Amino acid sequence: MTLAETQELFHRAITGPVPLDEAELDRCFGGTGELSAADRVEIYRNMYTARLVDALRETFPNLARFLGEERFGALGEAYLAEHPSEHHDVGRLGRRLADFLNAYPDPERADLADLAELEWTRNEVFFAPESRIVGAEALVAAGVENVAGVRLRIAPSLCVIGLAHDAAALWRSLAAGEEVLPPREGPAVAVWRRGFEVFHCTLPPEEAGALRAAMEGQPIDAICSAFAGRPDPATEAHAAISSWFAEGWIAGVVLPAA
Amino acid sequence: MFQRLDLGHGIGLRNKHFARFQEERPPVSWVEVVTENFMADGGRPIAVLEKVRRDMPVVLHGVSLSIGSVDPLSGSYLADLKKLVARIEPAMVTDHLCWGTHRGQYVHDLLPLPYTEESLAHVASRVSAVQEFLGRRILLENPSSYVAFRESTMTEWEFLSALCRQSDCGILLDVNNVYVSARNLGFDPIAYLDGIDAGRVGQFHLAGHGDRGRYLLDTHDEAVPPAVWDLYREALKRFGRVPSLVEWDDHIPPLDEVVAQSRRAAEIEAEELAPALRRAS
Repeated sequence: MTLAETQELFHRAITGPVPLDEAELDRCFGGTGELSAADRVEIYRNMYTARLVDALRETFPNLARFLGEERFGALGEAYLAEHPSEHHDVGRLGRRLADFLNAYPDPERADLADLAELEWTRNEVFFAPESRIVGAEALVAAGVENVAGVRLRIAPSLCVIGLAHDAAALWRSLAAGEEVLPPREGPAVAVWRRGFEVFHCTLPPEEAGALRAAMEGQPIDAICSAFAGRPDPATEAHAAISSWFAEGWIAGVVLPAA
Repeated sequence: MFQRLDLGHGIGLRNKHFARFQEERPPVSWVEVVTENFMADGGRPIAVLEKVRRDMPVVLHGVSLSIGSVDPLSGSYLADLKKLVARIEPAMVTDHLCWGTHRGQYVHDLLPLPYTEESLAHVASRVSAVQEFLGRRILLENPSSYVAFRESTMTEWEFLSALCRQSDCGILLDVNNVYVSARNLGFDPIAYLDGIDAGRVGQFHLAGHGDRGRYLLDTHDEAVPPAVWDLYREALKRFGRVPSLVEWDDHIPPLDEVVAQSRRAAEIEAEELAPALRRAS
Protein backbone atom coordinates (compact mmCIF):
# COMPACT_ATOMS: atom_id res chain seq x y z
CA MET A 1 0.00 0.00 0.00
CA THR A 2 1.51 3.35 -0.98
CA LEU A 3 1.50 6.42 1.26
CA ALA A 4 -1.16 8.01 -0.95
CA GLU A 5 -3.37 4.91 -0.76
CA THR A 6 -2.94 4.75 3.01
CA GLN A 7 -3.96 8.38 3.45
CA GLU A 8 -6.93 7.96 1.10
CA LEU A 9 -8.19 5.04 3.16
CA PHE A 10 -7.50 6.66 6.54
CA HIS A 11 -9.25 9.88 5.49
CA ARG A 12 -12.28 8.00 4.20
CA ALA A 13 -12.41 5.95 7.40
CA ILE A 14 -12.44 9.07 9.58
CA THR A 15 -14.64 11.44 7.58
CA GLY A 16 -16.89 9.14 5.56
CA PRO A 17 -20.62 8.89 6.28
CA VAL A 18 -20.33 5.38 7.76
CA PRO A 19 -17.45 3.38 9.32
CA LEU A 20 -15.47 1.30 6.81
CA ASP A 21 -15.60 -2.45 6.63
CA GLU A 22 -13.38 -4.12 9.25
CA ALA A 23 -11.62 -6.29 6.68
CA GLU A 24 -10.63 -3.22 4.69
CA LEU A 25 -9.22 -1.57 7.81
CA ASP A 26 -7.37 -4.74 8.84
CA ARG A 27 -5.41 -4.65 5.59
CA CYS A 28 -3.95 -1.27 6.56
CA PHE A 29 -3.92 -1.05 10.35
CA GLY A 30 -2.68 -3.45 12.99
CA GLY A 31 -4.99 -4.41 15.82
CA THR A 32 -4.61 -6.25 19.13
CA GLY A 33 -6.87 -8.48 21.15
CA GLU A 34 -7.86 -5.52 23.28
CA LEU A 35 -8.35 -3.01 20.45
CA SER A 36 -9.10 -4.08 16.90
CA ALA A 37 -8.03 -1.98 13.92
CA ALA A 38 -11.63 -0.77 13.63
CA ASP A 39 -11.70 0.23 17.33
CA ARG A 40 -8.51 2.20 16.84
CA VAL A 41 -9.72 4.02 13.75
CA GLU A 42 -12.99 4.76 15.55
CA ILE A 43 -11.01 6.81 18.11
CA TYR A 44 -9.91 9.15 15.31
CA ARG A 45 -13.38 9.14 13.74
CA ASN A 46 -15.00 10.23 17.01
CA MET A 47 -12.36 12.90 17.64
CA TYR A 48 -12.81 14.34 14.13
CA THR A 49 -16.50 15.05 14.62
CA ALA A 50 -16.21 16.15 18.23
CA ARG A 51 -13.33 18.54 17.56
CA LEU A 52 -14.96 20.25 14.60
CA VAL A 53 -18.39 20.54 16.19
CA ASP A 54 -16.64 22.09 19.22
CA ALA A 55 -14.97 24.59 16.90
CA LEU A 56 -18.37 25.54 15.47
CA ARG A 57 -19.81 25.85 18.96
CA GLU A 58 -17.07 28.31 19.84
CA THR A 59 -17.86 30.49 16.81
CA PHE A 60 -21.65 30.29 17.21
CA PRO A 61 -22.23 30.25 20.99
CA ASN A 62 -25.76 31.65 20.93
CA LEU A 63 -26.90 29.45 18.07
CA ALA A 64 -25.53 26.47 20.04
CA ARG A 65 -27.29 27.72 23.18
CA PHE A 66 -30.58 28.00 21.33
CA LEU A 67 -30.40 24.56 19.70
CA GLY A 68 -28.97 22.69 22.67
CA GLU A 69 -26.23 20.05 22.67
CA GLU A 70 -27.97 17.37 20.60
CA ARG A 71 -29.54 19.53 17.87
CA PHE A 72 -26.40 21.63 17.46
CA GLY A 73 -24.32 18.44 17.21
CA ALA A 74 -26.64 17.12 14.50
CA LEU A 75 -26.46 20.44 12.65
CA GLY A 76 -22.67 20.41 12.91
CA GLU A 77 -22.40 16.87 11.51
CA ALA A 78 -24.75 17.65 8.62
CA TYR A 79 -22.83 20.84 7.86
CA LEU A 80 -19.46 19.05 7.99
CA ALA A 81 -20.67 16.43 5.53
CA GLU A 82 -21.40 19.19 3.02
CA HIS A 83 -18.68 21.68 3.97
CA PRO A 84 -15.54 20.00 5.31
CA SER A 85 -12.79 22.31 6.50
CA GLU A 86 -10.77 23.84 3.68
CA HIS A 87 -8.65 26.22 5.73
CA HIS A 88 -5.73 25.67 8.07
CA ASP A 89 -7.48 27.76 10.74
CA VAL A 90 -10.28 25.69 12.26
CA GLY A 91 -11.91 28.98 13.24
CA ARG A 92 -12.78 29.49 9.54
CA LEU A 93 -14.85 26.30 9.46
CA GLY A 94 -18.18 28.03 10.00
CA ARG A 95 -17.98 30.58 7.23
CA ARG A 96 -20.75 28.88 5.24
CA LEU A 97 -23.03 27.92 8.14
CA ALA A 98 -25.43 30.82 7.54
CA ASP A 99 -25.73 29.81 3.86
CA PHE A 100 -26.26 26.21 4.94
CA LEU A 101 -29.07 27.25 7.29
CA ASN A 102 -30.62 29.30 4.50
CA ALA A 103 -30.50 26.27 2.22
CA TYR A 104 -31.92 23.97 4.92
CA PRO A 105 -33.98 26.30 7.11
CA ASP A 106 -35.21 25.22 10.51
CA PRO A 107 -38.97 24.66 10.07
CA GLU A 108 -39.78 26.53 13.28
CA ARG A 109 -37.14 29.27 13.31
CA ALA A 110 -36.42 30.88 9.98
CA ASP A 111 -34.18 33.41 11.77
CA LEU A 112 -31.42 30.94 12.70
CA ALA A 113 -29.54 31.63 9.47
CA ASP A 114 -29.54 35.34 10.39
CA LEU A 115 -28.31 34.54 13.89
CA ALA A 116 -25.48 32.50 12.35
CA GLU A 117 -24.68 35.39 10.00
CA LEU A 118 -24.51 37.81 12.92
CA GLU A 119 -22.28 35.51 14.99
CA TRP A 120 -20.00 34.85 12.02
CA THR A 121 -19.67 38.58 11.36
CA ARG A 122 -18.82 39.21 15.01
CA ASN A 123 -16.09 36.58 14.64
CA GLU A 124 -14.76 38.22 11.47
CA VAL A 125 -14.73 41.66 13.05
CA PHE A 126 -12.85 40.35 16.09
CA PHE A 127 -9.94 39.33 13.86
CA ALA A 128 -10.10 42.31 11.47
CA PRO A 129 -6.86 44.28 10.99
CA GLU A 130 -6.11 47.17 13.30
CA SER A 131 -6.46 50.67 11.93
CA ARG A 132 -6.13 54.18 13.27
CA ILE A 133 -9.37 56.05 13.75
CA VAL A 134 -10.04 59.76 13.41
CA GLY A 135 -12.53 62.06 15.13
CA ALA A 136 -15.01 64.51 13.63
CA GLU A 137 -12.36 67.22 13.79
CA ALA A 138 -10.81 65.57 10.73
CA LEU A 139 -13.94 66.46 8.77
CA VAL A 140 -13.97 69.99 10.15
CA ALA A 141 -10.34 70.37 9.14
CA ALA A 142 -11.27 69.55 5.54
CA GLY A 143 -12.89 72.99 5.34
CA VAL A 144 -16.52 73.93 4.70
CA GLU A 145 -15.88 74.43 1.00
CA ASN A 146 -14.62 70.85 0.60
CA VAL A 147 -17.02 68.90 2.83
CA ALA A 148 -19.50 67.89 0.13
CA GLY A 149 -16.78 66.12 -1.84
CA VAL A 150 -15.03 64.48 1.09
CA ARG A 151 -14.94 60.68 1.20
CA LEU A 152 -14.76 58.72 4.44
CA ARG A 153 -12.34 55.84 4.88
CA ILE A 154 -14.24 53.25 6.92
CA ALA A 155 -12.36 51.24 9.57
CA PRO A 156 -11.80 47.60 8.48
CA SER A 157 -13.27 46.43 11.77
CA LEU A 158 -16.76 47.67 10.81
CA CYS A 159 -19.25 45.55 8.87
CA VAL A 160 -22.84 46.26 7.90
CA ILE A 161 -25.02 43.23 7.30
CA GLY A 162 -28.57 43.09 5.98
CA LEU A 163 -30.63 40.39 7.67
CA ALA A 164 -34.09 39.07 6.88
CA HIS A 165 -34.91 38.72 10.57
CA ASP A 166 -34.06 40.58 13.73
CA ALA A 167 -31.15 38.39 14.74
CA ALA A 168 -29.82 41.14 17.00
CA ALA A 169 -32.87 40.76 19.26
CA LEU A 170 -32.55 36.96 19.24
CA TRP A 171 -28.82 37.24 20.02
CA ARG A 172 -29.53 39.59 22.93
CA SER A 173 -32.20 37.32 24.43
CA LEU A 174 -29.98 34.25 24.21
CA ALA A 175 -26.91 36.02 25.60
CA ALA A 176 -28.96 37.34 28.53
CA GLY A 177 -30.74 34.04 29.13
CA GLU A 178 -34.12 35.71 28.51
CA GLU A 179 -37.24 34.38 26.83
CA VAL A 180 -36.86 34.11 23.06
CA LEU A 181 -39.58 35.83 21.04
CA PRO A 182 -40.90 34.55 17.70
CA PRO A 183 -38.93 35.57 14.58
CA ARG A 184 -39.64 39.05 13.26
CA GLU A 185 -38.45 41.10 10.32
CA GLY A 186 -35.06 42.61 10.89
CA PRO A 187 -33.21 45.83 10.23
CA ALA A 188 -29.60 46.09 9.02
CA VAL A 189 -26.97 45.56 11.70
CA ALA A 190 -23.62 47.26 12.18
CA VAL A 191 -20.90 45.08 13.76
CA TRP A 192 -17.67 46.68 14.91
CA ARG A 193 -14.74 46.33 17.26
CA ARG A 194 -13.48 48.87 19.73
CA GLY A 195 -10.26 47.81 21.40
CA PHE A 196 -10.70 44.05 21.84
CA GLU A 197 -14.45 44.11 22.28
CA VAL A 198 -16.99 43.45 19.51
CA PHE A 199 -20.29 45.35 19.46
CA HIS A 200 -23.32 45.34 17.21
CA CYS A 201 -26.41 47.51 16.84
CA THR A 202 -29.37 47.78 14.50
CA LEU A 203 -29.45 50.64 11.99
CA PRO A 204 -32.42 52.60 10.64
CA PRO A 205 -32.76 52.01 6.88
CA GLU A 206 -31.59 55.53 5.96
CA GLU A 207 -28.47 55.27 8.10
CA ALA A 208 -27.70 51.80 6.75
CA GLY A 209 -27.98 53.19 3.22
CA ALA A 210 -25.75 56.12 4.11
CA LEU A 211 -23.15 53.85 5.70
CA ARG A 212 -23.12 51.55 2.69
CA ALA A 213 -22.63 54.59 0.45
CA ALA A 214 -19.68 55.64 2.60
CA MET A 215 -18.22 52.12 2.39
CA GLU A 216 -18.50 52.29 -1.41
CA GLY A 217 -16.38 55.45 -1.32
CA GLN A 218 -19.10 57.92 -2.24
CA PRO A 219 -18.66 61.56 -1.17
CA ILE A 220 -20.46 63.21 1.75
CA ASP A 221 -23.18 64.77 -0.38
CA ALA A 222 -24.13 61.33 -1.77
CA ILE A 223 -23.98 59.85 1.73
CA CYS A 224 -26.33 62.54 3.01
CA SER A 225 -28.79 61.98 0.19
CA ALA A 226 -29.76 58.70 1.88
CA PHE A 227 -31.67 60.82 4.41
CA ALA A 228 -33.58 62.76 1.71
CA GLY A 229 -36.91 61.20 2.65
CA ARG A 230 -36.68 62.20 6.32
CA PRO A 231 -38.43 65.25 7.79
CA ASP A 232 -35.13 66.99 8.62
CA PRO A 233 -32.50 65.37 6.39
CA ALA A 234 -29.60 67.69 7.24
CA THR A 235 -29.97 67.28 11.00
CA GLU A 236 -30.34 63.49 10.78
CA ALA A 237 -27.39 63.14 8.42
CA HIS A 238 -25.25 65.29 10.70
CA ALA A 239 -26.26 63.26 13.76
CA ALA A 240 -25.56 59.95 12.03
CA ILE A 241 -22.17 60.92 10.62
CA SER A 242 -21.13 62.47 13.92
CA SER A 243 -21.98 59.20 15.67
CA TRP A 244 -19.83 57.25 13.19
CA PHE A 245 -16.82 59.31 14.22
CA ALA A 246 -17.71 58.93 17.90
CA GLU A 247 -17.99 55.13 17.60
CA GLY A 248 -14.59 54.88 15.95
CA TRP A 249 -15.89 53.71 12.59
CA ILE A 250 -13.94 56.24 10.53
CA ALA A 251 -10.30 55.57 9.74
CA GLY A 252 -9.66 58.66 7.63
CA VAL A 253 -11.00 61.57 5.65
CA VAL A 254 -10.07 61.86 1.98
CA LEU A 255 -10.22 65.34 0.49
CA PRO A 256 -11.59 65.77 -3.04
CA ALA A 257 -8.94 66.00 -5.72
CA ALA A 258 -8.05 69.64 -6.47
CA MET B 1 23.37 22.46 11.53
CA PHE B 2 20.60 22.09 14.10
CA GLN B 3 21.48 23.57 17.48
CA ARG B 4 19.59 23.33 20.77
CA LEU B 5 18.67 26.60 22.51
CA ASP B 6 18.79 27.08 26.26
CA LEU B 7 15.40 28.61 27.05
CA GLY B 8 14.57 27.08 30.41
CA HIS B 9 11.03 26.13 31.33
CA GLY B 10 7.90 27.48 29.68
CA ILE B 11 4.17 27.02 29.38
CA GLY B 12 1.58 27.18 26.63
CA LEU B 13 -0.03 30.63 26.36
CA ARG B 14 -3.79 30.14 26.23
CA ASN B 15 -6.73 32.59 25.87
CA LYS B 16 -7.83 32.04 29.44
CA HIS B 17 -4.59 33.58 30.71
CA PHE B 18 -4.36 36.49 28.26
CA ALA B 19 -5.35 39.07 30.89
CA ARG B 20 -2.57 38.01 33.29
CA PHE B 21 0.01 38.12 30.50
CA GLN B 22 -1.22 41.57 29.47
CA GLU B 23 -1.01 42.93 33.01
CA GLU B 24 2.23 41.38 34.16
CA ARG B 25 5.16 39.15 33.29
CA PRO B 26 4.29 35.75 34.80
CA PRO B 27 7.24 33.79 36.22
CA VAL B 28 8.00 31.53 33.27
CA SER B 29 11.03 31.66 31.00
CA TRP B 30 9.14 31.42 27.71
CA VAL B 31 5.79 30.61 26.18
CA GLU B 32 4.57 28.55 23.29
CA VAL B 33 1.53 29.46 21.21
CA VAL B 34 -0.48 27.50 18.67
CA THR B 35 0.65 29.18 15.47
CA GLU B 36 -2.68 29.08 13.62
CA ASN B 37 -4.45 30.99 16.41
CA PHE B 38 -2.27 34.03 15.76
CA MET B 39 -2.22 34.26 11.99
CA ALA B 40 -5.08 36.77 11.74
CA ASP B 41 -4.00 40.33 11.06
CA GLY B 42 -5.83 41.84 14.01
CA GLY B 43 -7.77 41.19 17.19
CA ARG B 44 -6.76 40.49 20.73
CA PRO B 45 -4.63 37.33 20.22
CA ILE B 46 -1.94 38.95 18.09
CA ALA B 47 -1.94 42.10 20.26
CA VAL B 48 -1.40 39.97 23.37
CA LEU B 49 1.30 37.94 21.66
CA GLU B 50 3.22 41.07 20.63
CA LYS B 51 3.15 42.29 24.25
CA VAL B 52 4.27 38.89 25.56
CA ARG B 53 7.03 38.73 22.97
CA ARG B 54 8.45 41.96 24.38
CA ASP B 55 8.62 40.19 27.77
CA MET B 56 10.03 36.78 26.88
CA PRO B 57 10.91 34.33 24.08
CA VAL B 58 8.00 32.84 22.15
CA VAL B 59 7.86 29.50 20.32
CA LEU B 60 5.43 29.06 17.41
CA HIS B 61 3.92 25.57 17.52
CA GLY B 62 1.88 24.68 14.44
CA VAL B 63 -0.80 22.07 13.98
CA SER B 64 -1.62 22.51 10.27
CA LEU B 65 1.63 22.23 8.35
CA SER B 66 0.65 18.65 7.46
CA ILE B 67 4.24 17.77 6.67
CA GLY B 68 3.43 14.13 5.93
CA SER B 69 0.45 14.64 3.62
CA VAL B 70 0.65 13.65 -0.03
CA ASP B 71 -1.18 16.92 -0.75
CA PRO B 72 1.14 19.68 -1.95
CA LEU B 73 2.42 21.97 0.82
CA SER B 74 -0.01 24.86 1.21
CA GLY B 75 1.54 28.02 -0.21
CA SER B 76 -0.93 30.26 1.60
CA TYR B 77 -0.23 28.54 4.92
CA LEU B 78 3.51 28.86 4.49
CA ALA B 79 3.16 32.51 3.48
CA ASP B 80 1.07 33.23 6.61
CA LEU B 81 3.60 31.34 8.72
CA LYS B 82 6.51 33.26 7.28
CA LYS B 83 4.71 36.56 7.91
CA LEU B 84 4.05 35.61 11.54
CA VAL B 85 7.65 34.46 11.99
CA ALA B 86 8.85 37.86 10.74
CA ARG B 87 6.43 39.65 13.06
CA ILE B 88 7.15 37.65 16.25
CA GLU B 89 10.76 36.49 15.69
CA PRO B 90 10.15 33.24 17.60
CA ALA B 91 12.87 31.28 19.32
CA MET B 92 11.69 28.12 17.56
CA VAL B 93 9.22 27.10 14.89
CA THR B 94 7.73 23.67 15.52
CA ASP B 95 5.01 21.39 14.16
CA HIS B 96 4.20 17.69 14.19
CA LEU B 97 5.37 14.54 12.46
CA CYS B 98 1.96 13.84 11.02
CA TRP B 99 -0.50 14.63 8.26
CA GLY B 100 -3.89 16.32 8.50
CA THR B 101 -4.96 17.28 4.99
CA HIS B 102 -6.36 15.25 2.14
CA ARG B 103 -7.32 16.64 -1.27
CA GLY B 104 -7.42 20.12 0.23
CA GLN B 105 -9.55 19.16 3.22
CA TYR B 106 -8.29 19.66 6.77
CA VAL B 107 -9.24 17.13 9.44
CA HIS B 108 -7.59 19.28 12.14
CA ASP B 109 -6.03 16.24 13.70
CA LEU B 110 -2.46 14.95 13.91
CA LEU B 111 -2.69 11.70 11.99
CA PRO B 112 0.25 9.30 12.17
CA LEU B 113 2.22 8.06 9.16
CA PRO B 114 3.31 4.60 8.17
CA TYR B 115 7.04 4.55 8.89
CA THR B 116 8.42 3.42 5.55
CA GLU B 117 11.25 4.45 3.24
CA GLU B 118 8.64 6.06 0.97
CA SER B 119 7.27 8.18 3.86
CA LEU B 120 10.78 9.08 4.96
CA ALA B 121 11.82 10.35 1.55
CA HIS B 122 8.53 12.26 1.20
CA VAL B 123 8.69 13.95 4.62
CA ALA B 124 12.42 14.69 4.42
CA SER B 125 12.04 16.51 1.12
CA ARG B 126 9.13 18.56 2.48
CA VAL B 127 10.98 19.46 5.68
CA SER B 128 13.88 20.66 3.57
CA ALA B 129 11.50 22.72 1.41
CA VAL B 130 9.86 24.31 4.45
CA GLN B 131 13.19 25.10 6.08
CA GLU B 132 14.46 26.65 2.88
CA PHE B 133 11.28 28.73 2.52
CA LEU B 134 11.42 29.95 6.13
CA GLY B 135 15.18 30.35 6.15
CA ARG B 136 15.48 28.48 9.45
CA ARG B 137 15.38 25.04 11.05
CA ILE B 138 12.12 23.59 12.30
CA LEU B 139 11.45 20.99 14.98
CA LEU B 140 8.92 18.18 14.59
CA GLU B 141 6.99 16.64 17.47
CA ASN B 142 6.25 12.94 17.82
CA PRO B 143 2.46 12.49 17.79
CA SER B 144 0.26 10.50 20.15
CA SER B 145 -0.85 7.44 18.21
CA TYR B 146 -3.74 5.03 18.46
CA VAL B 147 -2.98 3.02 15.32
CA ALA B 148 0.03 1.33 13.79
CA PHE B 149 0.36 0.51 10.08
CA ARG B 150 1.06 -2.88 8.61
CA GLU B 151 3.30 -1.21 6.02
CA SER B 152 5.70 0.26 8.61
CA THR B 153 9.24 -1.06 8.31
CA MET B 154 10.83 0.98 11.07
CA THR B 155 9.95 2.34 14.51
CA GLU B 156 8.92 5.93 15.07
CA TRP B 157 12.23 6.70 16.77
CA GLU B 158 14.18 5.20 13.89
CA PHE B 159 12.08 7.24 11.48
CA LEU B 160 12.59 10.48 13.44
CA SER B 161 16.32 9.94 13.71
CA ALA B 162 16.66 9.23 9.99
CA LEU B 163 14.50 12.24 9.19
CA CYS B 164 16.75 14.50 11.24
CA ARG B 165 19.84 13.16 9.51
CA GLN B 166 18.35 13.68 6.07
CA SER B 167 16.79 17.11 6.56
CA ASP B 168 18.75 18.58 9.50
CA CYS B 169 15.63 19.37 11.51
CA GLY B 170 15.23 19.06 15.27
CA ILE B 171 12.97 16.95 17.47
CA LEU B 172 10.35 18.30 19.82
CA LEU B 173 10.14 15.27 22.05
CA ASP B 174 6.71 15.09 23.64
CA VAL B 175 7.32 12.89 26.65
CA ASN B 176 3.61 12.44 27.26
CA ASN B 177 3.09 11.36 23.65
CA VAL B 178 5.87 8.78 23.95
CA TYR B 179 4.12 7.41 27.05
CA VAL B 180 0.65 7.45 25.48
CA SER B 181 1.77 5.84 22.21
CA ALA B 182 3.85 3.25 24.06
CA ARG B 183 0.79 2.18 26.06
CA ASN B 184 -1.50 2.21 23.02
CA LEU B 185 0.83 0.47 20.61
CA GLY B 186 2.73 -1.74 23.03
CA PHE B 187 6.32 -0.57 22.64
CA ASP B 188 8.91 0.18 25.34
CA PRO B 189 9.14 3.97 26.01
CA ILE B 190 12.72 3.57 27.24
CA ALA B 191 13.70 1.95 23.94
CA TYR B 192 12.16 5.00 22.24
CA LEU B 193 14.34 7.39 24.28
CA ASP B 194 17.41 5.23 23.72
CA GLY B 195 16.80 5.31 19.98
CA ILE B 196 16.70 9.09 19.64
CA ASP B 197 19.80 11.08 18.68
CA ALA B 198 20.37 13.28 21.77
CA GLY B 199 21.82 16.13 19.75
CA ARG B 200 18.58 16.53 17.82
CA VAL B 201 16.26 17.04 20.78
CA GLY B 202 15.51 20.75 21.02
CA GLN B 203 12.48 20.78 23.27
CA PHE B 204 10.40 18.61 25.61
CA HIS B 205 6.63 18.70 25.92
CA LEU B 206 4.95 17.62 29.13
CA ALA B 207 1.21 17.16 29.53
CA GLY B 208 -1.56 15.08 31.02
CA HIS B 209 -3.65 12.41 29.35
CA GLY B 210 -6.88 10.55 29.97
CA ASP B 211 -7.19 6.85 30.75
CA ARG B 212 -10.05 5.43 28.66
CA GLY B 213 -9.60 1.89 29.96
CA ARG B 214 -8.52 0.11 26.80
CA TYR B 215 -6.33 3.01 25.67
CA LEU B 216 -4.85 6.37 26.75
CA LEU B 217 -6.14 9.56 25.12
CA ASP B 218 -3.86 12.57 24.69
CA THR B 219 -6.18 15.12 26.29
CA HIS B 220 -3.92 17.82 27.79
CA ASP B 221 -6.69 18.39 30.31
CA GLU B 222 -5.00 17.63 33.60
CA ALA B 223 -1.71 17.86 35.47
CA VAL B 224 1.31 15.89 34.30
CA PRO B 225 0.85 12.41 35.83
CA PRO B 226 3.59 10.65 37.83
CA ALA B 227 4.34 8.18 35.04
CA VAL B 228 5.11 11.03 32.63
CA TRP B 229 7.29 12.79 35.21
CA ASP B 230 9.18 9.51 35.60
CA LEU B 231 9.70 9.28 31.85
CA TYR B 232 10.82 12.93 31.84
CA ARG B 233 13.55 11.96 34.33
CA GLU B 234 14.68 9.25 31.95
CA ALA B 235 14.71 11.74 29.09
CA LEU B 236 16.80 14.21 31.13
CA LYS B 237 19.35 11.47 31.86
CA ARG B 238 19.76 10.84 28.15
CA PHE B 239 19.38 14.30 26.61
CA GLY B 240 20.55 16.67 29.37
CA ARG B 241 19.20 20.19 29.77
CA VAL B 242 16.47 20.72 27.19
CA PRO B 243 13.83 23.52 27.19
CA SER B 244 10.60 22.10 28.60
CA LEU B 245 7.03 23.16 27.96
CA VAL B 246 3.94 22.29 29.99
CA GLU B 247 0.80 22.03 27.83
CA TRP B 248 -2.65 22.38 29.34
CA ASP B 249 -5.32 22.90 26.67
CA ASP B 250 -8.64 21.79 28.12
CA HIS B 251 -10.21 22.30 31.57
CA ILE B 252 -7.50 24.91 31.93
CA PRO B 253 -6.81 25.82 35.57
CA PRO B 254 -5.69 29.23 36.92
CA LEU B 255 -2.34 30.35 35.55
CA ASP B 256 -0.54 29.75 38.86
CA GLU B 257 -1.36 26.05 38.67
CA VAL B 258 0.15 25.75 35.20
CA VAL B 259 3.20 27.74 36.31
CA ALA B 260 3.58 25.36 39.28
CA GLN B 261 3.81 22.47 36.80
CA SER B 262 6.58 24.30 34.97
CA ARG B 263 8.39 24.85 38.27
CA ARG B 264 8.07 21.14 38.97
CA ALA B 265 9.76 20.46 35.64
CA ALA B 266 12.61 22.78 36.66
CA GLU B 267 12.95 21.03 40.04
CA ILE B 268 13.08 17.61 38.42
CA GLU B 269 15.65 18.83 35.93
CA ALA B 270 17.79 20.14 38.81
CA GLU B 271 17.43 16.84 40.70
CA GLU B 272 18.43 14.78 37.69
CA LEU B 273 21.22 16.94 36.33
CA ALA B 274 22.80 18.57 39.40
CA PRO B 275 24.83 15.55 40.55
CA ALA B 276 26.35 15.17 37.13
CA LEU B 277 27.16 18.88 37.02
CA ARG B 278 28.85 18.68 40.42
CA ARG B 279 30.88 15.70 39.31
CA ALA B 280 31.91 17.59 36.22
CA SER B 281 33.27 20.44 38.33
